[in-house]
Amino acid sequence: MNINSRYKTISLILSIILLFGLVGFGSFYTYWNSASPYKTCASCHEIELRVESHAHSSHQNLTCKDCHGTALSNGFHSLKEKGMMVVNHVRKVNTENIRMNEEQILDVMNNCERCHTNEFAKWKLGGHSMTYSHVFLNEKHNTTEQINFDCLRCHGMFNSKSVDEIVEPLKNKGPWKLKDKELMHRSAIPCMACHQIHQEGKPVSQPDYSNPQEAFYKRKAEKPSLTFFHRHEKININVVDLPKLKLTDNNREVAVSDDPIMRNCIQCHAPNAAHQAGTSDDRTPRGVHEGLSCMACHEPHSNDARNSCKKCHPPMSNCKLDVTQMNTTFKDKNSKNDIHFVSCTDCHKANDPKLKQKMMKITRI
Amino acid sequence: MDVKNKISRRKFLSLSLVGIGGISLLSLGALNKKPISKWRFFTENEVLILDALVEQIIPTDESMGARDAGATNFIDKQLMGPYQQFQKDYRDGLKLLQQSSMEKFNSKFEELNWENQTILLKLIDKDELKHSHWEKGADKKFFSMVIRHTMQSFYGSPKHGGNKNNVSYKMLKLDTPIIIGQNRYK
Repeated sequence: MNINSRYKTISLILSIILLFGLVGFGSFYTYWNSASPYKTCASCHEIELRVESHAHSSHQNLTCKDCHGTALSNGFHSLKEKGMMVVNHVRKVNTENIRMNEEQILDVMNNCERCHTNEFAKWKLGGHSMTYSHVFLNEKHNTTEQINFDCLRCHGMFNSKSVDEIVEPLKNKGPWKLKDKELMHRSAIPCMACHQIHQEGKPVSQPDYSNPQEAFYKRKAEKPSLTFFHRHEKININVVDLPKLKLTDNNREVAVSDDPIMRNCIQCHAPNAAHQAGTSDDRTPRGVHEGLSCMACHEPHSNDARNSCKKCHPPMSNCKLDVTQMNTTFKDKNSKNDIHFVSCTDCHKANDPKLKQKMMKITRI
Repeated sequence: MDVKNKISRRKFLSLSLVGIGGISLLSLGALNKKPISKWRFFTENEVLILDALVEQIIPTDESMGARDAGATNFIDKQLMGPYQQFQKDYRDGLKLLQQSSMEKFNSKFEELNWENQTILLKLIDKDELKHSHWEKGADKKFFSMVIRHTMQSFYGSPKHGGNKNNVSYKMLKLDTPIIIGQNRYK
């Protein structure tokens, strides 16, 4: 065999090995990203429980990579992470409670947007799409109330750092700055603050049309998939299991809605530790709206309440009262009658004969 | 080109296909693992015994008992973590408890009625189990350990595997997570 032909043979063998390698890796990678998670991701026992919970969730028809991306989505970072799983496995480090870090949560959140475009757009328009800079660099807030560790209960809850590692100074006098500038535009309340994607549930399906009642008044109530992320414990608690608020207004017990979703709101929009109405950030409805859930007026993702009055007080109603024009914070944010707490006697004297006459007239109609 | 060294296109393609098939088969073989078990340490039989045992310690009443609150899951999880030193105690203890049950009632512990399960556990607790397979005092020691771990599971944080849906916090009427607002400015 001359040198030329030997060179050609070696080149050919190398080409075949390379081709086999590429095709082999390609087919393996394609298989890995399309096969059942039980045969792929759950090969690592650390992931087994997550795969199991996903299989019973409302997202069960999606594959892991639909939300989490592939092993190569985040380039070197992903490979390093998977490599560390092997290292921890060999070291016998207990990694059962592995959780996504904040960067990964936000990466997954970008994938939520692909399917839940409408909800994402509404969230973007509402008060919960605030970023770290909106929360931690707000001058009015910081001068009035000192930044403290508990801010992270409701903002930046997935950040593994403590508040003093995020913002400085922890004083009422600024200027304040974020220690890591990359946090400036990072979402402080991502989807996962209220939603756990692996929460037990069923995919949306059509009702049983052979029994039309099930499509209407006999429709079964599903357990809400909403959860509260408890930063301290690093667990998601289903809203059904959150405590219901016991609120008092001058020693009178306020009727609070049974809506479990409202329990999630109250975790952050809460009264003081003594649960006195109107203290701290309490907005639990009282007065004429006592007993209503937050969700009776606020849209779930945008928190918009502009159409809320019409839901219960339509313009074509018998009373012929346009409640949107009354002197409340719904009409004018500077009104002294907060729409959350307003009662009849805030504007009318208790024994006002004119009011009595008006009420009689409405009742007669 | 030397005709002897030339590989035909057909041969090249067939070799490639064999290679790809081989790699794919290897991948499939490597990934064909056994079905996932919910349990980390216990066998299915041990789980049945322990479920019955923890339910005796905290029975279901108007609120969930220890079995439904995930006590077995808690113990199973901790045995693979910080409680690794108790692995042998559980493996041996559950086996001996089953033997004692068979000896005294001729029935598996988990299949005994409630009263007979209680009778057996009372004997263990008082160290009065006669014709026992246990070493002196080992049955009482085992039972005390299970009581201790069941209590930890029921009253501890759900993140450790027990206290499902905050059941004990609800029973004790504890607000968890605590509802406490910030000092909101006006």
